[in-house]
Amino acid sequence: MDPITIISQLVTGLSIASILLLVALGLAIIYGATGVINLAHGEFVMLGAYSAWALQTFFNMSLFESLIFIFIIVALLGWAIERTVIRHLYARPLDTILATWGIGVIAQQAIRLTAGGELRYVEMPKQLADSVLIFGVEISSFRIFVLIFAATLFGLTWYLMYRTTFGIKLRAITQNPEVASSFGINSNRVFGLTFAYGAGLAGLAGALISPLKSVSPEMGTTYVVDAFLIVVLGGVESLMGTVLSAIILGELSSILSFYSNDTIAKALVLLAIVILIRFRPQGLFSSKVRS
Amino acid sequence: MNTEQLVLKNVTVNFNGFHALDGLDFSVDKGELRCLIGPNGAGKTTALDIICGKTKVTSGEVDFESKSITSLQEHQIARIGIGRKFQIPSVFQDLTVRENLQVAYSENTSVLSNLFKFGLSKDEEGLNELAEMVNLQEHLDVLAGHLSHGQTQWLEIALLVAQNPKLILMDEPTAGMTRQETHKTAELFLQLKSKHTLVVVEHDMGFVKEIGDVISVMHQGKILAEGTAQEIEQNAAVRDAYLGSGGITNA
Amino acid sequence: MSAVIDEKSKLVINETSKRYSNTKSQIIIYGIVCALIFIVPSFMDNAYLLNKFSTYLIMGMLAMALSLSWGYGGILNLGQAVSFGLGSYCMAMALKLRTVPIHTGAEGLPDFMVWNNVETLPLIWQPFHSLTLAVFLGIAVPVVFAMLVGWFMFKGRITGVYVAIITLAILVVVNLLIIDQQRITGGFNGITDLAQLEVFGFEFDAYSSSAYYLIAIFLTLSLFLALAITKSKTGKILQAVRDHEDRVRYFGYDVSHFQIFVFAVSAGISGLAGMLYTIVMEFASPTFLGVHLSLSIVIWCAVGGRQSLIGAMLGAIFVVGIQGSLSESETFLETWTLVMGFIFVMVVLFLPKGIAGAFESLAARIRQKN
Repeated sequence: MDPITIISQLVTGLSIASILLLVALGLAIIYGATGVINLAHGEFVMLGAYSAWALQTFFNMSLFESLIFIFIIVALLGWAIERTVIRHLYARPLDTILATWGIGVIAQQAIRLTAGGELRYVEMPKQLADSVLIFGVEISSFRIFVLIFAATLFGLTWYLMYRTTFGIKLRAITQNPEVASSFGINSNRVFGLTFAYGAGLAGLAGALISPLKSVSPEMGTTYVVDAFLIVVLGGVESLMGTVLSAIILGELSSILSFYSNDTIAKALVLLAIVILIRFRPQGLFSSKVRS
Repeated sequence: MNTEQLVLKNVTVNFNGFHALDGLDFSVDKGELRCLIGPNGAGKTTALDIICGKTKVTSGEVDFESKSITSLQEHQIARIGIGRKFQIPSVFQDLTVRENLQVAYSENTSVLSNLFKFGLSKDEEGLNELAEMVNLQEHLDVLAGHLSHGQTQWLEIALLVAQNPKLILMDEPTAGMTRQETHKTAELFLQLKSKHTLVVVEHDMGFVKEIGDVISVMHQGKILAEGTAQEIEQNAAVRDAYLGSGGITNA
Repeated sequence: MSAVIDEKSKLVINETSKRYSNTKSQIIIYGIVCALIFIVPSFMDNAYLLNKFSTYLIMGMLAMALSLSWGYGGILNLGQAVSFGLGSYCMAMALKLRTVPIHTGAEGLPDFMVWNNVETLPLIWQPFHSLTLAVFLGIAVPVVFAMLVGWFMFKGRITGVYVAIITLAILVVVNLLIIDQQRITGGFNGITDLAQLEVFGFEFDAYSSSAYYLIAIFLTLSLFLALAITKSKTGKILQAVRDHEDRVRYFGYDVSHFQIFVFAVSAGISGLAGMLYTIVMEFASPTFLGVHLSLSIVIWCAVGGRQSLIGAMLGAIFVVGIQGSLSESETFLETWTLVMGFIFVMVVLFLPKGIAGAFESLAARIRQKN
């Protein structure tokens, strides 16, 4: 490979990684804190994308303007789902897989019945429609924006988890729910808010993906498997691990697809992750295992 | 004549820098009933974990009937005749008492040979008597998850008898039992003693005195003293080790 | 700790704590259900409906196979569709090579290969000239694949959530590979335009009672095979593994062998179901090993009752049946899927053992009253 191609592949890899990180971040928080395998996470992403589409089509909002609304809408949905369904299942983690899949089906159908099954398109913000040259490689400005946005959200989340009382409470509950509750921490409330935050992040991910890919009711299914593998590969409760494994996955996909095609690259990456999980179920960057 | 059935030689177990066992030397003769006592954190449960393969040694050697079992897997250790009862009663909650016992009759461990066994097979003939012995004969069709705490302890002891290992490791078998139940357990253990070797980790000194011939005291990952109940109670080093934990009887 | 003990000692043992594993009555119920399946064609003379009903039976077979590994062995296999798909492709390859020349390219080459500029029949297709070999492979390939995956996971003591994640990822990998290898597999379109299955000059028309009976026979056989496994001592040990995997090891059983065994048997039944599905659908497609189907199997199984073979089977037939009968009207189907999602969430929340489990505890309560 000549240098330009190498840079181009690396940058493509980073761009893939930033989208993966956006999707996986919310999942990492939910799974890490509550142990819930949220198969409806892909549907949160999908709902974020549809919110972006609806706000643009019916209220004429640009993507930038709508982001905060999208976060709130999807976070509220996530909170409602946690309050009505998920909180009954904390003692049965495997059953959360089933229940959240059911919720995913409901969400997909609800969208199909209201917005229709056809593909929808969200316009890219005009300011970012062009592209820039970096090291002689042409890159869309929007993709750079996504990358910066993902990095910022990660920073915010990290601050929230490690530098605020909310984060300390959450980590206390995760490590020992009984002791935490004896110190007066209300785990119900904290879990509800965590779920809402994770869902909101997924919604933002969906909104940012929407101008890059077409929006459809089943778009979430493709993301949820990838996101899960990233979270598990990174290690439970390791936000840093999630970032690193997103980068590894993004770069690996980009490099492998240069040598073969996208499909084979994806298959090889998944296979590699399966093997890693088999030998290091605690993930690459963590010493903890979720039992 | 060498009658030592189980020998632990200089066994060390290191959990992230903490020495749970620190050069433990311990041996038990065939047919003996040995009680293992010691203050909290002395390494009693870890010692049992090492013998049954749940934990691997950091260094040292474990021999059973003159063969090394140090690097064998749990099921291999069980097959050569070592059974274990855990501190937290662990029975199969969604199986009935009868099914629990059937699983415990484990003379034949392969998938295929067990595939063609339906109902009670020949090697499970003693099942009903065994249930009677632990007073569960009325409850054979009850799901084990519905038994009381004491009954669960009894069921697990019965599982071990069904398994029929040469060496039985018991971790606090009388925890949560009433006085009468404890007394009955002691009687049962004395019956088992002739046919099996037993190593019993126990806190209840009354129970230990009732059953034990030789008592081993562990402290800080090694053996501190060994002897009869009387010798142990008079041993100054033992008294020092228990100091601060309210004396040997309340340990 | 002592609070827990007090709580437990208050439990009163009564009829609801018992399980009547009365094998005789179970065999009778299973027999009646199978007999009912066999008499369906005598009052359903609509060939189209009969064909549909046979697809429901196949889905029932799949859910039953999952119940064996999940409900009894504790292995939540989210990739059950892999073995189903492998079986269906094996049958499709054999039937493709039997199509009348008009559907086939030059020198007996399948049409899609001609379109993809393949010149000679790939080596992997060669064994499928023989139908006997194809049928053998339709079961053997999924079984061997499951044994490899099982060996990979269970020798490493992978359990619970990780089994679910790994099996799901493997499903996606296999699906991607089949779509990608267009020249061999027909890619997105799958393998279409198949001949009808013909054995000893007897033709199994997909739209006739002959194909239906073929499926009913194999469904009955595999149901009773699975029942026999659960009733054997191996079945008891498997349930013990499900409840408390580590404890089983200390009795001397190599847990991984039992897990690999049940995983492989379940895959074999799914492979058989896959072959039958190709016969009645008259094609094989990558959707047969899609994530959607695979997770749907889990749902049917959970709704019917994961710990009851017949419950899981009837659950699947019931759910797919309603779905199928509503599919005439697009809006009805869409609404039904929504309702189904809702029912499913409710079942997980309030009936963890599914409808079959609810029936069992109801029966126990009635016994208690008498």
